[in-house]
Amino acid sequence: MNKIFSVARMEILDIRRSKLMLSLLGFFLIAAIVSVVVASIDFGVKADAYKTYTDALAASGITNPATAPQLFPLHLMRAAIEYLEILGALFAIILGYAAIAKEKQRGTLSLLFTRPIGNFTLVLGKLGALALVWLAFVSIVVLATMLTAVIAGHAQLSATDVGRLLLTILGAWIYLLVWTAVAVSIASTSKKLTTALIVSIVLWLLVVLVIPQVGDTMDPDNQVPGGLFKSLQIAKPDETAVLANFTGYNSARDALEISSVTKHFERYTFAFLGIKDQYNQQPIGTVWAGVFINALALWLFAIGTLVISLFTTKPKTLLRTSK
Amino acid sequence: MKSLYVFTEKSICRLSVLSGTRPYCDTMNEFAIVTKDLTKSYKDVVALENLNLSVRQGEIFGLLGHNGAGKTTTVNLLTTLLVPTSGTVEIEGVDSSKSAKDIRKLIGYLPENVQLYNNMTTMENLRFFANLSGLKKPEARIKEVLDYLNFNSHYNKSIGTFSKGMRQRVGIAQAILHNPSVLFLDEPTSGLDPEGVRQLRDVIIRLNADLGVTIFMNTHLLSEVTKTCSSIGILKGGKLAYQNSMNSTLAEFPDQDSLEDIYLSIETAD
Repeated sequence: MNKIFSVARMEILDIRRSKLMLSLLGFFLIAAIVSVVVASIDFGVKADAYKTYTDALAASGITNPATAPQLFPLHLMRAAIEYLEILGALFAIILGYAAIAKEKQRGTLSLLFTRPIGNFTLVLGKLGALALVWLAFVSIVVLATMLTAVIAGHAQLSATDVGRLLLTILGAWIYLLVWTAVAVSIASTSKKLTTALIVSIVLWLLVVLVIPQVGDTMDPDNQVPGGLFKSLQIAKPDETAVLANFTGYNSARDALEISSVTKHFERYTFAFLGIKDQYNQQPIGTVWAGVFINALALWLFAIGTLVISLFTTKPKTLLRTSK
Repeated sequence: MKSLYVFTEKSICRLSVLSGTRPYCDTMNEFAIVTKDLTKSYKDVVALENLNLSVRQGEIFGLLGHNGAGKTTTVNLLTTLLVPTSGTVEIEGVDSSKSAKDIRKLIGYLPENVQLYNNMTTMENLRFFANLSGLKKPEARIKEVLDYLNFNSHYNKSIGTFSKGMRQRVGIAQAILHNPSVLFLDEPTSGLDPEGVRQLRDVIIRLNADLGVTIFMNTHLLSEVTKTCSSIGILKGGKLAYQNSMNSTLAEFPDQDSLEDIYLSIETAD
């Protein structure tokens, strides 16, 4: 165990001293904070417009018919979550790839594997270090964005909101671990590091951008602005009846979406943050029941990719491909 | 610095003069390294064929050969970095096929063009390798080894600022931290300037004399072999073409003026 800690400590020290890594993480943090500031300003503009509107109505002696815009503080995190979903996954790939690539490039693997360490010491140490880095990173991003929402957006957080944030941190952490483990596996098994990076990026493109986009496009609600059925003024029961004739189509769309870990992460976090309307202001228990399958999928993806990375990052594999 | 050897019925205990190190007890083996019919193939290419090699305790052994003769493959097999296609490797009587991890406790390794963690200091690099070798509280041992190598003034400096020769010093330090009984050096003088070569040669000879470490080195530099090695082996096309002590070798070829001539005569012989 001491040897695993040594590898982990060295990896963290290495990341701390890497200007590129710190720049990437710093850039992400700033982008997330800016997104919350922009969302807060946007809400402020809407609130001011509403006030102007109601003042004008009151001056005309008309009772205000419109409901006031409501601020759901957690909604301000939407952009930050989308950044985590897209850029976070990319950064996780870069960090996971770098953890293995730098050992191959430096030529330190032969020194490491002539020490009396176990088959899994190196990979457990590296993954452990990256898991800590991501936990710290996600916590900082979520806390910083919420702090920004409180300061810039004058948002008030309830105890339930804090619970939702903690569950969001957990989901984001697992999501980033999945991508880290994927990159570690690919970098370990690829004979050429450039191939490893290209394969990882192509996988990222497919899973993070292409599959969710195709799935979204196949959703009738996304095919015309406002939703296909709403724009045709078709009531919900009729919509259900119509869709019953397209079960194959819907199954294909569902199968496509559930194959992407990104979609599970999005459904999970959007539900807990109330960004998805049906879960907004719902008790955590209700949300949990609704996204249990997505939470389970996230865990299964994480366990699967971590196990694969354990067995692909053994000395035999690394030394075979590090020439 | 001297090592004190204590002979008992079943073992030779080498009490290192470097304080804080536990006495290292070798089982009574005449040979530190023994290979039997050691073969390594990569698909259809045989890199090493039926290598039968024996290196005595306390020797400085030089393995010579042209590029592609199988020298690095041999070192990689002996250090457990490669698994043999067939044949066996024994280091201090421990069979590598049965316990590679035990062999790694017995050996130190300095690869060609030693690469360390450039953005770390000497101390951070050495502490890392000491921890991987299972040393508890390694700081005192690291200072002692650096002192032995006259490198203490670079204790807290970043490796990235070091010359090739300085890196080699740190590389040797990491290789001897855990008090190994066999040290493998792969082309240790490669890329060093004449001063660096001389300093490294002095270190190798001192390690062998003071600590009784058996040293196995691959090299192209025949002048260095003459000055440092007590025995040599010559690999030719993946096969051991010659092995003998340095003195016997020089006596065996009285017509040749130098080791270089002897080497070339063996290399060019059918």
